[in-house]
Amino acid sequence: MDTLVKIEKVVKVYRVGDEDFTALHDISLNIEAGAFMSFVGPSGSGKTTLLNLMGGLDKPTSGNIFFENINLKDLNRTDLAEYRRKNLGFIFQTYNLLPVYSVYENVLFPLLLDGEKESAVRQKVLDLVEKVGLSDQVNKKPAHLSGGQCQRVAIARALVKQPSLILADEPTANLDAENSYQVLELMRDLNRQLKAAFVFSTHDEKVTKYVNREIGLEDGRIIWDKKRDGNGVLE
Amino acid sequence: MIVSIAWKNFSRQGIRAILNVLVTALAMVAVVFNLSLYNGFQAQATRNMIRTDVGGGHYQAPGFDILTPTEWEDTTHKVPSALKKLSSAEKAEVLVQQGQLYPNRRLYPVQLRGIDIDQTLLDLPLDGLKKFDAKLGDVIPAVLGVKMAKKAHLKQGDTAVLKWRDRNGVVDARDVRVVDVVTLVNPRVDEGVLWLRLDHLRNMTQRMDEVSWVAVDEHHGNVDGMKFQSVEQLIADILYMIEQDRRYAKIFWVILVFLAGIGVFNTQILNVFKRQKEVGTLMALGMTPGRIVSVFTLEGSMAAFLSVFLALVLGTGLFAWFQSVGLDVSHLAESTIPVQEKVLLEIHPDEVAYSTVIIVAIMILISWLPVRKITRLDPTLALRGRAIT
Ligand SMILES: Nc1ncnc2c1ncn2[C@@H]1O[C@H](COP(=O)(O)OP(=O)(O)O)[C@@H](O)[C@H]1O
Ligand SMILES: [Mg+2]
Repeated sequence: MDTLVKIEKVVKVYRVGDEDFTALHDISLNIEAGAFMSFVGPSGSGKTTLLNLMGGLDKPTSGNIFFENINLKDLNRTDLAEYRRKNLGFIFQTYNLLPVYSVYENVLFPLLLDGEKESAVRQKVLDLVEKVGLSDQVNKKPAHLSGGQCQRVAIARALVKQPSLILADEPTANLDAENSYQVLELMRDLNRQLKAAFVFSTHDEKVTKYVNREIGLEDGRIIWDKKRDGNGVLE
Repeated sequence: MIVSIAWKNFSRQGIRAILNVLVTALAMVAVVFNLSLYNGFQAQATRNMIRTDVGGGHYQAPGFDILTPTEWEDTTHKVPSALKKLSSAEKAEVLVQQGQLYPNRRLYPVQLRGIDIDQTLLDLPLDGLKKFDAKLGDVIPAVLGVKMAKKAHLKQGDTAVLKWRDRNGVVDARDVRVVDVVTLVNPRVDEGVLWLRLDHLRNMTQRMDEVSWVAVDEHHGNVDGMKFQSVEQLIADILYMIEQDRRYAKIFWVILVFLAGIGVFNTQILNVFKRQKEVGTLMALGMTPGRIVSVFTLEGSMAAFLSVFLALVLGTGLFAWFQSVGLDVSHLAESTIPVQEKVLLEIHPDEVAYSTVIIVAIMILISWLPVRKITRLDPTLALRGRAIT
């Protein structure tokens, strides 16, 4: 498989008051195109920080992150926005839907940002809304949806442009077991159909059953890296 | 695309946006109303002074000063021929002298103001004096203003003894009859003033052809022996008074604009503060900082322009209503300010323009600044709601 993201000796130091706090210590790893994987670890282990760095939302203190041979270090604010718009989809723990927009408009939004005409992509958006099982809710505002429904809207929004990388920071943390399974299954199906790589951060054990690779983080260090083998066992 | 996103955001904000627009519109109306009311005051004061006293300026006898009555006797002048030849619509000859009135045996110092009865330059309701002969009879006919009549306890038909001194300093006394009590819109020509025919006063004081001043319609060049006082000079003190008042009006204006600004500022900051996660999300979705700032600034501009529009609608209604009733100034009846009729608004377009521009600018500025600040910080801060705290 081709390497999609290459993380090279990344260190992230936060300055808190007068003190430096190292959230990530010398992290190196490769993520393959079409991966379905997660970072697991206790709260504060650096999962969100790592995802934010890959998403170009934050910059490493040292080290490099390459996305398809682009070094994110070389991009300015506007370039980074462009990079996210073209290549990434984000799924947040708190959904982060645009509150004044309907389900349809939320899913449509990234396409409008790309300069698409609504009429040209209308059917595509509706199909995706159907795929995530929200056809009946298409005109509702997020405030009128359940958490599970909101997260499915967010998944549709992240996927609508068929990006090659989806970053999902604790996507099931606010959901009950039933909704968590639904959302995970949905993401796995979409991963298979659309070939987008999914990278989660989680401390939810339910996720383990679904992913093909799991990386353990503790205090900003990788403590293990398991891949599903031929027998479907992570090791 | 940016416009339609901004419009969606703005139009779907609901009650908060409506309140914001309403408050701003009301502030704009209040600001302009306040300024226009002062303009109305000033305009009426000026108009009333000009109408009843000032005309287009005075040619005064040398050394004359209305505020020093003891010198009135020594500061008269024969009417120069250059002024004499003006028509009665172009000039009004006026002679003022001291007198002492004894209504009900009390002494009341008065200004005897004799005015050419045929003049049409000034708008004075002195028709009551017209029917008398130029030749002075046993009783001197006089017209009083309402305020003067009230102070001196005189009414139409009453008589009182008047003492005055003639040109040679000889004291003379005769009965004065109040032939009319009239409303004068300028208290300065009412209180303490006994209006007489000029020919009578000249006769009484043996000052044939003499005047204290000649009011004219406009400056007729230099006239030998007389000193020209312009309208501005003659109303300087009242303008000064109003200007002092206006200073308070300006302070009031600043306070109003400031309050409007704070109101708008508050709602906008709150707005952006509440929406910083949204800003963070937009950044994560790959909207460029420039576009995000544009969207929010456009939203602010939409609010601003809607406020202007609403202010126009509300303002037009309020102003139309106000002009139909006017501001009652009966509380000024006892003052010496020549504002005695209902005050109407005088709208100066330049004041409307700069008040509006300032408020609109504030609105746009504060929808622009905080968002610009957020987009310059890490998207992670905005996403966690920590970019502006
Ligand atoms: N912006 C920041 N400033 C200072 N410290 C931070 C910041 N973001 C994260 N941290 C710290 O870095 C560590 C890792 O945080 P995070 O990546 O959010 O962990 P996780 O997502 O695994 O819970 C934590 O100790 C956290 O307090
Ligand atoms: Mg986290």
